[in-house]
Amino acid sequence: MNANATTTSTTSALEARGLSKIFGHGDLAVTAVRDVDLSVAPGEVVLVDGPSGSGKTTLLLMLGVLLEPTSGSVVVDGDDIWALPERRRPSLRARHFGFVFQDFNLLGALTAAENVTLAADLAGVTGHAARQRAATALERVGLGHRIDFRPDQLSGGEKQRVAVARALVNDPAVILADEPTANLDSANGRQVARLLHTLATDDRRAVIIVTHDNRLHDIADRVLWLEDGALQQLDALVTDPVCHMSITPADTPHIELDGTVWWFCSTGCRDEFTADPTRFTKPK
Amino acid sequence: MSRRVPLARRYLFGERRRAILATAGVAVALLLVLVLDGIFAGAMQQVTAYIRTSPADVIVSQRGVRTMHMTTSALPADAGLTAETADGVGWVAPIGFVSGVIGADSGGRQLSYVIGYTPGQPGGPHHLISGQPPAGGEAVIDQIAADQLGLHIGDQVRVLGAWLRVSGLAEGGTSIVNTTTFVTADELDQIHGPTTSYLLVGARPGNSSTTLRDTLAAALPDTTVQTRGEFARQEAAVVADMSADVMRIMAIIGFAIALAVVCLTLFTATLARLRDYGIIKALGAGSGRLAGIVIAQAAWTVALAVAASVALALVVGRVVEVAAPTITIAIEPSSILRVAAGAAAIGAVSALAPLRRVVAVDPASAFRRLS
Repeated sequence: MNANATTTSTTSALEARGLSKIFGHGDLAVTAVRDVDLSVAPGEVVLVDGPSGSGKTTLLLMLGVLLEPTSGSVVVDGDDIWALPERRRPSLRARHFGFVFQDFNLLGALTAAENVTLAADLAGVTGHAARQRAATALERVGLGHRIDFRPDQLSGGEKQRVAVARALVNDPAVILADEPTANLDSANGRQVARLLHTLATDDRRAVIIVTHDNRLHDIADRVLWLEDGALQQLDALVTDPVCHMSITPADTPHIELDGTVWWFCSTGCRDEFTADPTRFTKPK
Repeated sequence: MSRRVPLARRYLFGERRRAILATAGVAVALLLVLVLDGIFAGAMQQVTAYIRTSPADVIVSQRGVRTMHMTTSALPADAGLTAETADGVGWVAPIGFVSGVIGADSGGRQLSYVIGYTPGQPGGPHHLISGQPPAGGEAVIDQIAADQLGLHIGDQVRVLGAWLRVSGLAEGGTSIVNTTTFVTADELDQIHGPTTSYLLVGARPGNSSTTLRDTLAAALPDTTVQTRGEFARQEAAVVADMSADVMRIMAIIGFAIALAVVCLTLFTATLARLRDYGIIKALGAGSGRLAGIVIAQAAWTVALAVAASVALALVVGRVVEVAAPTITIAIEPSSILRVAAGAAAIGAVSALAPLRRVVAVDPASAFRRLS
């Protein structure tokens, strides 16, 4: 269990316990997510970083009721969502979660307003009420003047803002964003980051962002590191002085030099360091 | 107002070329069925025109003979007199009937019913559009046949091998299979030999055709007596039996083409949008909503195709009437209903495979990177 990755909030917007996902069986079994505990409070922005293939998206899918975990629970609004009947899951997704995708995932056949209205439709709000909500959400992300535009008439940044409007139209408690700035230039990336931060601070939503984008670290209340399916708080990691890889200090090679403990990703890095420590300890 | 985002329509009409091609493809296939049905119905109307427009309430024929088409009938010589004395009979008009060929001097020939009747009595042409009823040595032919044979009033027409003068032109007697020629009863007796083929019988006022039928059946036990409606239905049934297999095969081909077009279009359109369906599912759509989108697309496609095919069939009917006057395309409401029902079934079947795909789509697929 990764105790470091758990807050002690008693009013969690989302709480995962012992979440694991194993793909395949027997000798072919691959553990994508291993025994993750995670609690995210309302108003908190949590970033999940980690190398490619570390299980970040798998974790996000399980948190968002999109991929059934092999074991563990996800509690939202007092309910263990994976214990609910399957037929209730779509409406749970629509009402309790807002999704922001790397590729925006707007429906090309619909206008910006219709894309957002559709999300309201799926939560059971139809007609004028849904359109009104969509208009309000689009106004909020600064796209009130683009509501009748189709995605192919919008820039990347505008598309992602429409996606954010779609994510918040049902006033969800949790926003799940998968690499939301990966396809954006720096200006648009910052704008979307600020928007996501506002959704947390102003609306008291829990925002969980899976990303490689260091720019998003600035808006995060916590940065978690997922590696080999296991989650830990980034400040618990150390950097290998030779290859600069972020590593978990627990089971890796290390030496003590002049009262300082140096951790390495492998014995190769340790040996290289030992041969001439000054190459790696000198200030640059 | 409580309206959902019309995803099915947006998907269908968002790609206009695909929608037009699909609708046109299905419409043309349904048009084939409708036009064939229309030709069939038109032929029925034409073939039964003489009986349907006859003033007779009851028709008496040789025992076992229930039609004119593809048959001969010969009644006992005293049948007419016996009929005249039966209760409820208003009038009796004996007619002679022979299937044969009429021709022009130019060499043109047409298959024809040749009907011998007594001018001034029932049994002649329903509507004489020009000229006079036939006298001895004369014939009334149908205008369409006259046009095709290049004949006019006063010209000579060969009827069953005898040359007669065209005394008048009638209408409504030419069908896709033959035409109708009227001569006097005496003339037919001379050409073909004396025969009374049918008795056309009118009921006295206050007597129903069914009562008259039963009365005559009792008075003429060696004959077959039918009301005009029964006779027309029998006539239509003979034609239907002759062409039913062909019609059925053509209808199946038409529906099969329509089915293939809708299936292919819907399936490829669904596959092309599978990621969209994944996104919609991820956002909270249940399988029912996704199924509704696919079904609505199929319904829109076939509904538009049915409407287009009916409109096209009416146009084709008018064009064919002008280009080929012997062919009547009758687009009947029952035919439209049949085609619509067939199209609905096609829509339902065509939606099955895409339905399986969208219901099985993984909502997590929305998180897969595009590149």
